[in-house]
Amino acid sequence: MTFTSSNQEVSFDNMVACPGCDLLHHRRALALGEYAQCERCNDVIQTCKSHTVDRSLAATLAGLVLLLLSLFTPFLSLSRAGIESSISVLDAVQSLWNSQMRWLGLATLALIVLLPLGRLVLMAYVLLRLRLRRKVRQSMRLAFRWAVKLEPWAMADIFMVGVVVSLVKISTLAKLSVGIAFWALLALVGVSWLINSTLCKDTIWARLRQDQ
Amino acid sequence: MGSAQTGSVTAREIGLKSCSSCGRLQKIDNDSPCRWCGATVLLRRPMSVQRTWAFLLVGMIAYIPANILPIMITDSYEGLREDTILSGVFSLIGTEDYFVAVVVFVASICVPVGKFLIIVLLAISLQFEWDMSEHTRHRLHAVTEFIGRWSMIDVFVVAVLAALIQLGAIMTITPGIGVNAFAVSVLFTMLAASSLDPRMLWETQNACNATDRGESATT
Repeated sequence: MTFTSSNQEVSFDNMVACPGCDLLHHRRALALGEYAQCERCNDVIQTCKSHTVDRSLAATLAGLVLLLLSLFTPFLSLSRAGIESSISVLDAVQSLWNSQMRWLGLATLALIVLLPLGRLVLMAYVLLRLRLRRKVRQSMRLAFRWAVKLEPWAMADIFMVGVVVSLVKISTLAKLSVGIAFWALLALVGVSWLINSTLCKDTIWARLRQDQ
Repeated sequence: MGSAQTGSVTAREIGLKSCSSCGRLQKIDNDSPCRWCGATVLLRRPMSVQRTWAFLLVGMIAYIPANILPIMITDSYEGLREDTILSGVFSLIGTEDYFVAVVVFVASICVPVGKFLIIVLLAISLQFEWDMSEHTRHRLHAVTEFIGRWSMIDVFVVAVLAALIQLGAIMTITPGIGVNAFAVSVLFTMLAASSLDPRMLWETQNACNATDRGESATT
């Protein structure tokens, strides 16, 4: 094991510790598409996905279009006995706000709109600048850190399951139709899954790191 | 430090800590931000077990009113009807929507209760240094991190129904106060799971002693 030393500090950059159990491994040179697992707990410790910037950027931009589309188009509409009711995603939030449940309304807004949107914007900023080979900025590292951190709190996928459950619950009550926003959000769930499966954090950090 | 050590020692045992965002290793006593990504590098999530207990207690306490108080109030020509989580499941069974009934039951009852039990077990096993298989603990922790978000389904169901069913005299649905408590319960249980550092689950009493020796040897 050779340590490359800089002026102040010994570097351990040829090693990697498992995030799940802290076991130390040599950093391996992976071929495209390969990944390395921890010997002890089998967590993934290194990835090397091909065309990660191109693919994740494409999915991110698609996600932004879909999310914005879903906010400003009708989501669900229902009719019964001549009364029509049509809601957008924001109406669902507003119904909580109006029922004296302001905090829950805000939390829902955050979980299904603001956090997914924030995550997509941060990702787009980082990936677009990397794609255009612009200078790496400190703010890109901060943005990417937060984009990764926000992931479990963006709940568009869970919201869609909730919507399907709601549809089943009221299908006997009234005639229902789904609008553009419904399909846009469903597509967004797929696109979010695409982002997660194409995004290679190791590759992105290798391009963002500030000591080279 | 020979190469034979990798794969058999932890970073902590040879005096290193890894950055949680980019994975770069640095010495435990080096308090400067990560050289690659600028994040603060911590050996372990701070006060991991205490924070887990605190968040978990809030989650468990909030789960009681979440189940007792109504989460959805339906005002229709048939009269006023208040639904709790469990009565909502039963009304789905009543209308023979068995699949959806199972989804809601699993998401709102099985997942939260299962998560409480698992996190309590993990936290107790850490607190009292139980002799428990590290592989089992690791798997349990992975399960809680994965399933936690899905409990929010019922909150979104209520939000959508309340927004959609505003049909005046025929039927109006408003969210009940219980849905607040339920959301608090789910979010705090997620926080509890994320404050538990998975690496600590591998550090039994013996390993911790070895760490102390390792640290004093490297510094």
